Amino acid sequence: MSSKEFFVNRYKTLGWIYKEVKLKQAIRINTMNANRDTVVKRLESLGIMLEKIPFLKDGYWIHKSKFSVGATAEYLLGLYSIQEAAAQIPATLFTELEDKTVLDACASPGGKTVQLANRMNNSGVIVALELKQRKMFALANQLERNRVTNTATYNMNAKEATKLNMKFDCVLLDVPCSGNYVTDKDWFSKRTIEDVHRNARLQRQILTEGVEVTKHGGEIVYATCSLEPEENELNIDWAIGALNVEVEEINCHGEKGLTTVFGKELDSSIEKCRRIWPSQTQGFFVCKLRKLA
Amino acid sequence: MTMKEIKDFVAQFDARIPLDESRIVRNRNRYYLLSKKLKQQAPKGFFYAGAYLGAVKGAAFFPSFILLSMVAESKANKLVIDKKTAWLFICGRDIFKKGILKGNNLKKGDYTLILNEHNECLGFGKIMHNLREEPDVNKVVVKNILDIGDFLRREKRQSKRQQHSSRVQGRDRTPHKYFRRS
Repeated sequence: MSSKEFFVNRYKTLGWIYKEVKLKQAIRINTMNANRDTVVKRLESLGIMLEKIPFLKDGYWIHKSKFSVGATAEYLLGLYSIQEAAAQIPATLFTELEDKTVLDACASPGGKTVQLANRMNNSGVIVALELKQRKMFALANQLERNRVTNTATYNMNAKEATKLNMKFDCVLLDVPCSGNYVTDKDWFSKRTIEDVHRNARLQRQILTEGVEVTKHGGEIVYATCSLEPEENELNIDWAIGALNVEVEEINCHGEKGLTTVFGKELDSSIEKCRRIWPSQTQGFFVCKLRKLA
Repeated sequence: MTMKEIKDFVAQFDARIPLDESRIVRNRNRYYLLSKKLKQQAPKGFFYAGAYLGAVKGAAFFPSFILLSMVAESKANKLVIDKKTAWLFICGRDIFKKGILKGNNLKKGDYTLILNEHNECLGFGKIMHNLREEPDVNKVVVKNILDIGDFLRREKRQSKRQQHSSRVQGRDRTPHKYFRRS
Protein backbone atom coordinates (compact mmCIF):
# COMPACT_ATOMS: atom_id res chain seq x y z
CA MET A 1 0.00 0.00 0.00
CA SER A 2 1.38 3.42 -0.94
CA SER A 3 1.73 6.17 1.61
CA LYS A 4 -1.06 8.08 -0.14
CA GLU A 5 -3.43 5.11 -0.02
CA PHE A 6 -2.62 4.63 3.65
CA PHE A 7 -3.50 8.20 4.63
CA VAL A 8 -6.48 8.47 2.28
CA ASN A 9 -7.93 5.28 3.83
CA ARG A 10 -7.48 6.76 7.28
CA TYR A 11 -9.41 9.88 6.25
CA LYS A 12 -12.17 7.66 4.89
CA THR A 13 -12.35 5.78 8.20
CA LEU A 14 -12.69 9.16 9.91
CA GLY A 15 -15.63 10.01 7.65
CA TRP A 16 -14.09 12.18 4.96
CA ILE A 17 -13.49 11.41 1.30
CA TYR A 18 -10.17 12.67 -0.05
CA LYS A 19 -10.30 15.28 -2.80
CA GLU A 20 -7.82 17.50 -4.62
CA VAL A 21 -8.02 21.09 -3.44
CA LYS A 22 -6.59 24.17 -5.08
CA LEU A 23 -5.70 26.62 -2.35
CA LYS A 24 -6.80 30.22 -2.80
CA GLN A 25 -4.40 32.93 -1.68
CA ALA A 26 -5.82 35.00 1.16
CA ILE A 27 -5.02 38.27 2.87
CA ARG A 28 -5.99 39.81 6.20
CA ILE A 29 -6.44 43.55 6.61
CA ASN A 30 -4.42 45.00 9.48
CA THR A 31 -7.08 47.23 10.92
CA MET A 32 -4.71 48.79 13.45
CA ASN A 33 -2.87 50.37 10.50
CA ALA A 34 -5.73 51.18 8.16
CA ASN A 35 -9.46 51.21 7.66
CA ARG A 36 -10.74 47.94 6.14
CA ASP A 37 -12.90 49.50 3.41
CA THR A 38 -10.15 51.94 2.43
CA VAL A 39 -7.63 49.14 1.93
CA VAL A 40 -10.14 47.10 -0.09
CA LYS A 41 -10.81 50.10 -2.34
CA ARG A 42 -7.09 50.77 -2.80
CA LEU A 43 -6.40 47.17 -3.76
CA GLU A 44 -9.36 47.09 -6.14
CA SER A 45 -8.07 50.28 -7.78
CA LEU A 46 -4.82 48.42 -8.47
CA GLY A 47 -6.80 45.75 -10.32
CA ILE A 48 -6.77 43.18 -7.52
CA MET A 49 -10.12 41.41 -7.35
CA LEU A 50 -11.04 40.41 -3.81
CA GLU A 51 -13.64 38.04 -2.45
CA LYS A 52 -14.73 38.40 1.16
CA ILE A 53 -14.09 35.28 3.24
CA PRO A 54 -17.52 34.71 4.81
CA PHE A 55 -16.25 33.29 8.09
CA LEU A 56 -13.55 35.93 8.78
CA LYS A 57 -14.06 39.58 9.71
CA ASP A 58 -10.89 40.91 8.07
CA GLY A 59 -10.10 38.14 5.58
CA TYR A 60 -10.33 38.26 1.78
CA TRP A 61 -9.44 35.75 -0.91
CA ILE A 62 -7.50 37.01 -3.90
CA HIS A 63 -9.87 36.24 -6.72
CA LYS A 64 -7.66 37.68 -9.43
CA SER A 65 -4.47 39.73 -9.55
CA LYS A 66 -2.05 40.45 -12.38
CA PHE A 67 0.84 40.79 -9.97
CA SER A 68 2.05 39.51 -6.63
CA VAL A 69 0.08 40.86 -3.69
CA GLY A 70 3.33 40.56 -1.73
CA ALA A 71 4.88 43.43 -3.67
CA THR A 72 2.39 46.28 -3.41
CA ALA A 73 3.05 49.51 -1.49
CA GLU A 74 0.03 48.64 0.67
CA TYR A 75 1.63 45.33 1.66
CA LEU A 76 5.01 46.94 2.35
CA LEU A 77 3.26 49.56 4.47
CA GLY A 78 1.70 46.84 6.62
CA LEU A 79 -1.89 47.60 5.62
CA TYR A 80 -2.53 43.89 5.08
CA SER A 81 -0.82 40.54 5.58
CA ILE A 82 -0.82 37.49 3.36
CA GLN A 83 -2.28 34.74 5.52
CA GLU A 84 -4.10 31.57 4.55
CA ALA A 85 -7.80 31.64 5.47
CA ALA A 86 -7.82 28.79 8.02
CA ALA A 87 -4.63 30.15 9.60
CA GLN A 88 -6.50 33.37 10.35
CA ILE A 89 -8.89 31.54 12.70
CA PRO A 90 -6.83 30.76 15.86
CA ALA A 91 -6.04 34.36 16.86
CA THR A 92 -9.73 35.28 16.61
CA LEU A 93 -10.72 32.74 19.28
CA PHE A 94 -9.41 34.49 22.39
CA THR A 95 -12.25 36.15 24.26
CA GLU A 96 -10.44 39.38 25.12
CA LEU A 97 -6.91 40.45 24.21
CA GLU A 98 -6.51 44.18 24.82
CA ASP A 99 -3.95 44.90 27.55
CA LYS A 100 -3.39 41.19 28.15
CA THR A 101 -0.11 39.31 28.47
CA VAL A 102 0.03 36.86 25.60
CA LEU A 103 2.41 34.07 24.61
CA ASP A 104 2.81 33.07 20.97
CA ALA A 105 4.78 29.89 21.52
CA CYS A 106 5.81 28.97 17.96
CA ALA A 107 5.73 32.34 16.28
CA SER A 108 7.63 32.45 12.97
CA PRO A 109 6.92 33.64 10.30
CA GLY A 110 4.77 35.91 12.47
CA GLY A 111 1.42 36.11 10.66
CA LYS A 112 -0.50 35.17 13.79
CA THR A 113 1.73 37.34 16.00
CA VAL A 114 0.80 40.37 13.87
CA GLN A 115 -2.84 39.32 14.01
CA LEU A 116 -2.70 39.13 17.81
CA ALA A 117 -1.04 42.58 17.98
CA ASN A 118 -3.74 43.84 15.65
CA ARG A 119 -6.51 42.52 17.92
CA MET A 120 -4.69 44.04 20.91
CA ASN A 121 -4.28 47.34 19.08
CA ASN A 122 -0.61 47.20 20.10
CA SER A 123 -1.55 47.25 23.80
CA GLY A 124 -0.42 44.76 26.46
CA VAL A 125 2.52 42.45 25.82
CA ILE A 126 3.14 39.60 23.40
CA VAL A 127 6.06 37.28 24.02
CA ALA A 128 6.85 35.42 20.79
CA LEU A 129 9.10 32.36 20.79
CA GLU A 130 10.84 30.79 17.83
CA LEU A 131 13.21 27.87 17.98
CA LYS A 132 15.13 28.37 14.73
CA GLN A 133 17.47 31.33 14.74
CA ARG A 134 17.35 31.84 10.98
CA LYS A 135 13.57 32.37 11.26
CA MET A 136 14.07 35.18 13.79
CA PHE A 137 14.92 37.64 11.00
CA ALA A 138 11.75 36.91 9.04
CA LEU A 139 9.78 37.38 12.25
CA ALA A 140 11.52 40.70 12.99
CA ASN A 141 10.89 41.97 9.44
CA GLN A 142 7.25 41.00 9.70
CA LEU A 143 6.87 42.94 12.99
CA GLU A 144 8.65 46.03 11.65
CA ARG A 145 6.72 46.05 8.36
CA ASN A 146 3.38 45.76 10.18
CA ARG A 147 4.38 48.34 12.81
CA VAL A 148 3.89 45.97 15.72
CA THR A 149 5.21 47.59 18.90
CA ASN A 150 3.94 45.42 21.78
CA THR A 151 5.99 42.28 21.10
CA ALA A 152 9.28 40.85 22.32
CA THR A 153 10.74 37.91 20.41
CA TYR A 154 13.03 35.22 21.82
CA ASN A 155 15.09 32.57 20.10
CA MET A 156 13.76 29.88 22.42
CA ASN A 157 12.20 26.44 22.34
CA ALA A 158 8.50 26.46 23.27
CA LYS A 159 9.22 23.35 25.36
CA GLU A 160 11.25 25.62 27.68
CA ALA A 161 8.71 28.45 28.04
CA THR A 162 8.77 28.15 31.86
CA LYS A 163 12.31 29.56 31.74
CA LEU A 164 10.73 32.94 30.96
CA ASN A 165 9.39 33.04 34.55
CA MET A 166 6.18 34.62 33.31
CA LYS A 167 2.50 33.74 33.51
CA PHE A 168 0.21 34.58 30.60
CA ASP A 169 -3.49 35.44 30.26
CA CYS A 170 -3.62 33.92 26.78
CA VAL A 171 -1.39 31.35 25.11
CA LEU A 172 -1.37 30.55 21.41
CA LEU A 173 0.03 27.11 20.65
CA ASP A 174 0.26 26.99 16.86
CA VAL A 175 2.41 23.92 17.23
CA PRO A 176 4.81 22.38 14.69
CA CYS A 177 2.89 19.64 12.89
CA SER A 178 2.93 17.21 9.98
CA GLY A 179 1.09 19.69 7.76
CA ASN A 180 -1.30 18.52 5.07
CA TYR A 181 -1.30 17.67 1.38
CA VAL A 182 -2.99 20.91 0.30
CA THR A 183 0.03 23.08 1.05
CA ASP A 184 2.65 20.54 -0.04
CA LYS A 185 2.21 18.63 -3.28
CA ASP A 186 4.75 16.00 -2.17
CA TRP A 187 3.16 15.55 1.24
CA PHE A 188 2.07 11.94 0.75
CA SER A 189 5.47 10.81 -0.51
CA LYS A 190 7.30 12.56 2.33
CA ARG A 191 5.19 11.69 5.36
CA THR A 192 4.94 8.50 7.35
CA ILE A 193 2.83 7.57 10.36
CA GLU A 194 6.06 7.59 12.42
CA ASP A 195 6.42 11.33 11.63
CA VAL A 196 2.88 11.85 12.85
CA HIS A 197 3.58 10.03 16.12
CA ARG A 198 6.84 11.92 16.64
CA ASN A 199 5.10 15.26 16.07
CA ALA A 200 2.26 14.26 18.41
CA ARG A 201 4.80 13.59 21.20
CA LEU A 202 6.45 16.97 20.63
CA GLN A 203 3.04 18.68 20.64
CA ARG A 204 2.19 17.11 24.01
CA GLN A 205 5.42 18.48 25.45
CA ILE A 206 4.59 21.96 24.14
CA LEU A 207 0.99 21.66 25.39
CA THR A 208 2.27 20.73 28.86
CA GLU A 209 4.62 23.72 28.93
CA GLY A 210 1.96 26.03 27.47
CA VAL A 211 -0.55 25.08 30.19
CA GLU A 212 2.14 25.49 32.85
CA VAL A 213 2.81 29.14 31.89
CA THR A 214 -0.91 30.01 31.62
CA LYS A 215 -2.56 31.82 34.53
CA HIS A 216 -5.41 29.97 36.24
CA GLY A 217 -8.55 30.80 34.28
CA GLY A 218 -6.42 31.78 31.28
CA GLU A 219 -7.10 30.71 27.69
CA ILE A 220 -5.02 28.44 25.48
CA VAL A 221 -5.68 28.14 21.77
CA TYR A 222 -4.19 24.99 20.25
CA ALA A 223 -3.92 24.76 16.46
CA THR A 224 -2.34 22.55 13.82
CA CYS A 225 -2.57 22.35 10.05
CA SER A 226 -2.51 18.55 10.29
CA LEU A 227 -5.41 16.24 9.44
CA GLU A 228 -4.09 13.44 11.61
CA PRO A 229 -6.12 12.80 14.81
CA GLU A 230 -2.97 11.89 16.77
CA GLU A 231 -1.93 15.56 16.50
CA ASN A 232 -5.42 16.88 17.12
CA GLU A 233 -8.32 15.19 18.94
CA LEU A 234 -6.14 12.49 20.54
CA ASN A 235 -3.76 15.13 21.93
CA ILE A 236 -6.63 17.15 23.34
CA ASP A 237 -8.19 14.02 24.84
CA TRP A 238 -4.85 13.33 26.50
CA ALA A 239 -4.60 16.97 27.72
CA ILE A 240 -8.05 16.79 29.36
CA GLY A 241 -6.87 13.82 31.41
CA ALA A 242 -3.27 14.85 32.08
CA LEU A 243 -3.35 18.64 32.33
CA ASN A 244 -5.57 20.95 34.31
CA VAL A 245 -7.73 22.12 31.38
CA GLU A 246 -11.20 21.92 29.90
CA VAL A 247 -12.35 22.47 26.32
CA GLU A 248 -14.25 25.70 25.69
CA GLU A 249 -17.03 26.27 23.19
CA ILE A 250 -15.91 28.16 20.08
CA ASN A 251 -17.91 29.61 17.26
CA CYS A 252 -15.91 29.42 14.05
CA HIS A 253 -15.67 27.78 10.64
CA GLY A 254 -15.23 24.00 10.65
CA GLU A 255 -16.85 20.75 11.72
CA LYS A 256 -17.15 19.40 15.25
CA GLY A 257 -14.07 17.60 16.56
CA LEU A 258 -14.16 13.80 16.28
CA THR A 259 -15.18 11.99 19.45
CA THR A 260 -14.62 8.51 18.04
CA VAL A 261 -11.23 7.93 16.45
CA PHE A 262 -10.34 4.51 14.97
CA GLY A 263 -12.77 2.86 17.39
CA LYS A 264 -11.59 4.75 20.45
CA GLU A 265 -14.15 6.84 22.34
CA LEU A 266 -12.83 10.24 23.37
CA ASP A 267 -14.07 12.78 25.91
CA SER A 268 -17.38 14.17 24.65
CA SER A 269 -16.20 17.78 25.13
CA ILE A 270 -13.85 17.30 22.17
CA GLU A 271 -16.73 17.94 19.84
CA LYS A 272 -16.30 21.61 20.85
CA CYS A 273 -13.03 21.60 18.88
CA ARG A 274 -13.14 22.44 15.17
CA ARG A 275 -11.75 20.20 12.42
CA ILE A 276 -11.48 21.76 8.97
CA TRP A 277 -11.22 19.24 6.16
CA PRO A 278 -9.62 20.69 2.98
CA SER A 279 -12.14 22.47 0.78
CA GLN A 280 -12.17 26.25 0.68
CA THR A 281 -9.08 26.26 2.87
CA GLN A 282 -6.22 23.96 3.77
CA GLY A 283 -6.78 21.29 6.41
CA PHE A 284 -6.78 22.64 9.95
CA PHE A 285 -7.64 21.84 13.55
CA VAL A 286 -8.26 24.33 16.31
CA CYS A 287 -9.56 24.33 19.85
CA LYS A 288 -9.71 26.56 22.90
CA LEU A 289 -8.79 25.29 26.36
CA ARG A 290 -9.24 26.99 29.70
CA LYS A 291 -6.84 26.35 32.54
CA LEU A 292 -8.81 25.41 35.61
CA ALA A 293 -8.18 27.04 38.97
CA MET B 1 25.04 58.36 24.18
CA THR B 2 22.06 56.09 23.64
CA MET B 3 19.95 58.80 22.08
CA LYS B 4 22.58 60.76 20.18
CA GLU B 5 22.50 58.75 16.96
CA ILE B 6 18.70 58.84 16.87
CA LYS B 7 18.44 62.55 17.71
CA ASP B 8 21.07 63.43 15.11
CA PHE B 9 19.30 61.38 12.49
CA VAL B 10 15.90 62.93 13.21
CA ALA B 11 17.43 66.44 13.20
CA GLN B 12 18.52 65.90 9.57
CA PHE B 13 14.86 66.28 8.63
CA ASP B 14 14.61 69.50 10.60
CA ALA B 15 12.40 67.58 13.01
CA ARG B 16 12.15 66.66 16.68
CA ILE B 17 10.17 63.81 18.11
CA PRO B 18 9.42 63.11 21.75
CA LEU B 19 11.21 59.92 22.80
CA ASP B 20 11.37 58.76 26.42
CA GLU B 21 15.06 57.90 26.81
CA SER B 22 14.36 55.72 29.84
CA ARG B 23 12.42 53.35 27.61
CA ILE B 24 15.01 53.08 24.85
CA VAL B 25 17.04 49.90 24.98
CA ARG B 26 20.15 49.10 22.97
CA ASN B 27 20.51 45.42 22.11
CA ARG B 28 23.70 44.65 20.16
CA ASN B 29 23.82 47.51 17.64
CA ARG B 30 20.04 47.96 17.54
CA TYR B 31 17.79 50.44 19.32
CA TYR B 32 14.28 49.65 20.51
CA LEU B 33 11.62 51.81 22.16
CA LEU B 34 9.70 49.72 24.67
CA SER B 35 6.26 50.46 26.05
CA LYS B 36 6.05 50.72 29.86
CA LYS B 37 4.48 47.27 30.07
CA LEU B 38 7.04 45.70 27.79
CA LYS B 39 9.88 47.29 29.73
CA GLN B 40 8.47 45.92 33.00
CA GLN B 41 7.45 42.48 31.80
CA ALA B 42 9.65 41.32 28.91
CA PRO B 43 12.47 39.11 30.16
CA LYS B 44 16.04 39.97 29.20
CA GLY B 45 17.72 38.39 26.19
CA PHE B 46 15.15 39.35 23.58
CA PHE B 47 15.99 39.28 19.89
CA TYR B 48 13.58 42.06 18.88
CA ALA B 49 11.25 44.11 21.07
CA GLY B 50 8.79 47.00 20.99
CA ALA B 51 9.23 49.64 18.32
CA TYR B 52 12.47 49.01 16.46
CA LEU B 53 14.13 52.39 15.89
CA GLY B 54 17.25 51.54 13.92
CA ALA B 55 20.77 50.15 13.99
CA VAL B 56 24.24 51.61 14.23
CA LYS B 57 26.90 50.30 11.89
CA GLY B 58 30.26 51.99 12.31
CA ALA B 59 29.51 55.71 12.33
CA ALA B 60 26.28 55.34 10.36
CA PHE B 61 22.74 55.09 11.70
CA PHE B 62 20.28 52.95 9.73
CA PRO B 63 16.73 53.95 10.66
CA SER B 64 13.78 51.61 10.82
CA PHE B 65 10.58 52.35 8.95
CA ILE B 66 8.83 52.61 12.32
CA LEU B 67 11.14 55.53 13.20
CA LEU B 68 10.58 57.18 9.81
CA SER B 69 6.80 56.92 10.32
CA MET B 70 7.19 58.53 13.75
CA VAL B 71 9.17 61.42 12.22
CA ALA B 72 6.56 61.73 9.45
CA GLU B 73 3.88 62.37 12.08
CA SER B 74 5.77 65.48 13.27
CA LYS B 75 6.79 68.69 11.54
CA ALA B 76 9.62 67.65 9.24
CA ASN B 77 11.01 67.94 5.71
CA LYS B 78 8.52 66.06 3.56
CA LEU B 79 7.80 65.62 -0.13
CA VAL B 80 4.54 64.19 -1.41
CA ILE B 81 4.94 62.36 -4.71
CA ASP B 82 2.48 61.06 -7.29
CA LYS B 83 1.39 57.44 -7.74
CA LYS B 84 3.79 56.50 -10.54
CA THR B 85 6.75 58.15 -8.86
CA ALA B 86 5.84 56.41 -5.58
CA TRP B 87 5.97 53.04 -7.30
CA LEU B 88 9.33 53.80 -8.92
CA PHE B 89 10.68 55.07 -5.58
CA ILE B 90 9.70 51.81 -3.86
CA CYS B 91 11.58 50.01 -6.63
CA GLY B 92 14.70 51.91 -5.57
CA ARG B 93 14.62 54.74 -8.14
CA ASP B 94 15.42 58.42 -7.60
CA ILE B 95 12.75 61.10 -7.95
CA PHE B 96 12.23 63.45 -10.94
CA LYS B 97 10.92 66.94 -10.26
CA LYS B 98 7.76 66.26 -12.28
CA GLY B 99 6.71 63.55 -9.81
CA ILE B 100 6.56 65.93 -6.82
CA LEU B 101 3.09 67.04 -5.78
CA LYS B 102 3.88 68.97 -2.59
CA GLY B 103 6.94 70.40 -0.83
CA ASN B 104 8.92 72.41 -3.33
CA ASN B 105 10.95 74.62 -1.00
CA LEU B 106 13.70 72.19 0.04
CA LYS B 107 17.30 72.98 -0.76
CA LYS B 108 20.23 71.01 -2.13
CA GLY B 109 21.72 68.83 0.60
CA ASP B 110 18.53 68.62 2.70
CA TYR B 111 17.21 65.25 3.74
CA THR B 112 13.53 64.65 3.27
CA LEU B 113 10.90 62.05 3.98
CA ILE B 114 9.06 60.79 0.93
CA LEU B 115 5.30 60.40 1.28
CA ASN B 116 2.71 59.01 -1.12
CA GLU B 117 -0.63 60.64 -1.91
CA HIS B 118 -2.10 59.07 1.24
CA ASN B 119 0.62 60.75 3.36
CA GLU B 120 2.22 57.39 4.16
CA CYS B 121 5.98 57.39 4.54
CA LEU B 122 7.71 55.40 1.81
CA GLY B 123 11.28 56.18 2.86
CA PHE B 124 13.69 59.09 2.64
CA GLY B 125 16.09 60.76 0.25
CA LYS B 126 18.55 63.59 -0.24
CA ILE B 127 17.76 66.73 -2.25
CA MET B 128 20.15 67.09 -5.20
CA HIS B 129 19.05 70.53 -6.50
CA ASN B 130 17.22 73.46 -4.96
CA LEU B 131 13.68 72.45 -5.79
CA ARG B 132 12.23 75.93 -6.23
CA GLU B 133 15.00 76.97 -8.64
CA GLU B 134 15.23 73.83 -10.74
CA PRO B 135 13.42 74.49 -14.06
CA ASP B 136 13.90 71.06 -15.65
CA VAL B 137 11.01 68.80 -14.64
CA ASN B 138 12.79 65.78 -16.09
CA LYS B 139 15.78 66.13 -13.81
CA VAL B 140 16.47 63.85 -10.84
CA VAL B 141 16.05 66.09 -7.82
CA VAL B 142 15.90 63.57 -4.95
CA LYS B 143 18.30 60.71 -4.48
CA ASN B 144 16.70 57.61 -3.00
CA ILE B 145 18.47 56.58 0.20
CA LEU B 146 15.99 54.16 1.74
CA ASP B 147 12.56 52.94 0.66
CA ILE B 148 10.05 50.33 1.87
CA GLY B 149 11.00 48.02 -1.02
CA ASP B 150 13.90 47.23 1.31
CA PHE B 151 11.66 44.69 3.07
CA LEU B 152 11.64 42.59 -0.10
CA ARG B 153 15.37 43.11 -0.73
CA ARG B 154 16.13 42.01 2.85
CA GLU B 155 14.17 38.80 2.34
CA LYS B 156 16.17 38.06 -0.81
CA ARG B 157 19.47 38.82 0.93
CA GLN B 158 18.58 36.66 3.90
CA SER B 159 17.42 33.81 1.74
CA LYS B 160 20.65 33.98 -0.34
CA ARG B 161 22.71 34.06 2.85
CA GLN B 162 20.88 31.01 4.16
CA GLN B 163 21.34 29.13 0.90
CA HIS B 164 25.03 29.98 0.99
CA SER B 165 25.29 28.89 4.62
CA SER B 166 23.64 25.57 3.95
CA ARG B 167 25.92 24.97 0.97
CA VAL B 168 28.97 25.75 3.07
CA GLN B 169 28.06 23.71 6.10
CA GLY B 170 25.11 21.63 5.00
CA ARG B 171 23.07 22.89 7.96
CA ASP B 172 21.91 26.02 9.76
CA ARG B 173 24.65 28.22 11.12
CA THR B 174 25.14 31.50 12.92
CA PRO B 175 23.84 34.44 10.89
CA HIS B 176 25.84 37.34 9.54
CA LYS B 177 27.64 39.32 12.25
CA TYR B 178 25.34 42.32 11.67
CA PHE B 179 22.48 40.36 13.21
CA ARG B 180 24.41 38.34 15.75
CA ARG B 181 23.70 38.79 19.43
CA SER B 182 26.54 39.96 21.64
